[in-house]
Amino acid sequence: MPALPALPAPPPLTVGLVGAGGMARAHAPAWRALGTELVVHSVDGAAELAAAHDGRVAASFDELLDVVDVVDVVTPTPTHLEVASAALAAGRHVLCEKPLGRTAADALALLEAARAADRQLYPGHVVRYFPEYALMRAAVHAGEIGTPAVLRFARGGAFPSWSPWFADDARSGGVVLDLMVHDLDVARWVAGEVTSVFATRRSLEEDGAPHTLAHVVLTHAGGAITHVRGLWGAPHTAFRTSFHVAGDAGVLRFDSATSGGVRSDLPPVPTGGLARPAPAAGESPYLTEIRELARAFAASPTALPADHPLRPRVSALDGVVAVELAEAALTSIDAGEPVAVDTAARVRELGGTPHPPPDTPALAAAGSPV
Amino acid sequence: MTAPTTPLRVAVLSFAHVHAGSYIALLRDRPDVELLTADPDAATAPPDELRGRGFADLHGAPYVETYAEALEWGPDAVIVCAENARHRDVALAAAAAGAHVLCEKPLATRVEDAEAMLAACDAAGVLLMTAYPVRFSPEFATLRGLVESGALGTVLGATGTNNGKVPSGRAWFTDPELAGGGALADHVVHVADLLDALLGEEAVAVRAVTNRVLHGDDPRVRAETGGLVSITYAGGAEVTVDCSWSVPDGAATWGGLTLQVTGTGGTVEIDPFGAHVDGFVGGGAVPAWLGFGENLDALMLEHFLGCVRTGATPGPDGRAGLRTLRVVAAAQESVAAGGAVVRPAS
Repeated sequence: MPALPALPAPPPLTVGLVGAGGMARAHAPAWRALGTELVVHSVDGAAELAAAHDGRVAASFDELLDVVDVVDVVTPTPTHLEVASAALAAGRHVLCEKPLGRTAADALALLEAARAADRQLYPGHVVRYFPEYALMRAAVHAGEIGTPAVLRFARGGAFPSWSPWFADDARSGGVVLDLMVHDLDVARWVAGEVTSVFATRRSLEEDGAPHTLAHVVLTHAGGAITHVRGLWGAPHTAFRTSFHVAGDAGVLRFDSATSGGVRSDLPPVPTGGLARPAPAAGESPYLTEIRELARAFAASPTALPADHPLRPRVSALDGVVAVELAEAALTSIDAGEPVAVDTAARVRELGGTPHPPPDTPALAAAGSPV
Repeated sequence: MTAPTTPLRVAVLSFAHVHAGSYIALLRDRPDVELLTADPDAATAPPDELRGRGFADLHGAPYVETYAEALEWGPDAVIVCAENARHRDVALAAAAAGAHVLCEKPLATRVEDAEAMLAACDAAGVLLMTAYPVRFSPEFATLRGLVESGALGTVLGATGTNNGKVPSGRAWFTDPELAGGGALADHVVHVADLLDALLGEEAVAVRAVTNRVLHGDDPRVRAETGGLVSITYAGGAEVTVDCSWSVPDGAATWGGLTLQVTGTGGTVEIDPFGAHVDGFVGGGAVPAWLGFGENLDALMLEHFLGCVRTGATPGPDGRAGLRTLRVVAAAQESVAAGGAVVRPAS
């Protein structure tokens, strides 16, 4: 990964958190660590969140929009379109938690809203900021494992029962859209554009507890194939992520269950408990993410040009494509057949530059595409 | 039925599969076994591969030149270690001679060959067992116990990996004619057999994608080296298997097999080849892997010889070998059809 240019601290921003749930609790400390002023609006829990992070409460969404530079949308997925498009229309930059939209159409509408408003919009694809994934991707793109051949990503934990909307596929998109969208995005980021999506899923409820296990297989334009496994499992399930990335000149692998400098022997996560992936090392990946986005937001009151040095490693277009891949997976599950896609053509159609296959020499020289 | 005190006559037929050496070493010194070997196709192998009488001498095994001589000796049982495409002819000859058959995996390269082997062994009244040693691992016994006791609840699905180095030392492994394919034929069957035993269900939908990125520039490799196979079982379990030859040549061990099974009760993951001491040897320049798991070949042979003595049906029998071969055949059909879903007729 190319190093960010050395910069003075970004000028202080005022950020409006819309929502006060689990993601708001993950984002708020990161914004505060950067010296950001926080304003919170939520139907529920705004006062507690504001009090915990030295912020203040906005009585209405409009009042929040009036006083902030940036809106951080951390509401349930089906509200992303309404909240984020209102923020963009009001001239605010937006960080929208993943998935960018409940549907590909929602996500695309947000991309178009950001362009119409000439404002910055980024999806919260925080896995690109986890050091183990960022290092792996940089090594792959530097040619360290040669041409990627077979990739495996897994991510899973307890079924998210702390908030009822997750269990409603109509609202959350289920494990494929809510959880696996991370690895669908990372797979494309690492192994390039995608030509085919096949997925299977088994969901069942036992003793009142829901369970879902899903598999997605991607075929990449450069020839690589990827398996993504997602689990919303039994209530005791510890959150765990792993990858195994094999190329013709090496293999890179990671498993959160066996990595990291801390070994603990503690009681299991209580039923209904809110498990969060612990960083493998160093600072919170949410801070890494939000620092990079804050610099971009502070750099310009409008959208950043494609060649701007502060363009973050993830774009709204990446967010759209990730939702489209998840939607293709859901289509495949319903049809029982693979779904042909062409994310390279889609990216071009939407005015972006497709990811070249990672063994392209020009890429290794140029660093990561936006 | 042979009395337990009478030594069993066992013939190892062909040294094409490298396991022949392991089987010979395990059988050679047993007081309850008389061993004979034959490797008549040795001349078809590349000259740098040790086969035939030289291989037998190296391993201290009595040797005859032809299968006919080995079968005239009247073996109670044979172990077929021929190239995959030649399993059928050797197994049929053994069955005709009244010998029980332990056959290397995959049972054959074509479903109809496996069916013919089953029919011949049934007609001759001899046992047919498929050599799936991982079935005998204590790790798999633990997993099976957790599934059968209900501790894992209803099985949602599984992820299996059987990754290894690209086979070397025996060129036929990467010859799609003799091996029946590449990584798909070589590495899907072990995981498929474990799932077959665990679930007791047929695969109802199979979909596979492959590539030849790994070792793509190696002229000896003429088949797929990477593959992902999606399998749906009759009861609804959803499985993905990574069968790739993705372990780099420089790795400390050949590869391994893992199976992660998720049910409503939780997840259990086994790594039957994982028990090891690691570190560095060779002046510090060579990664070490000192494996100390059970000798699965020994456990498998013990089971087979026990079945030969008692007439009991072996654990992974010919039917298990056929069912798993059907999964491979469906995966190959899927690849040939550009990744279409194949629904094997049960």
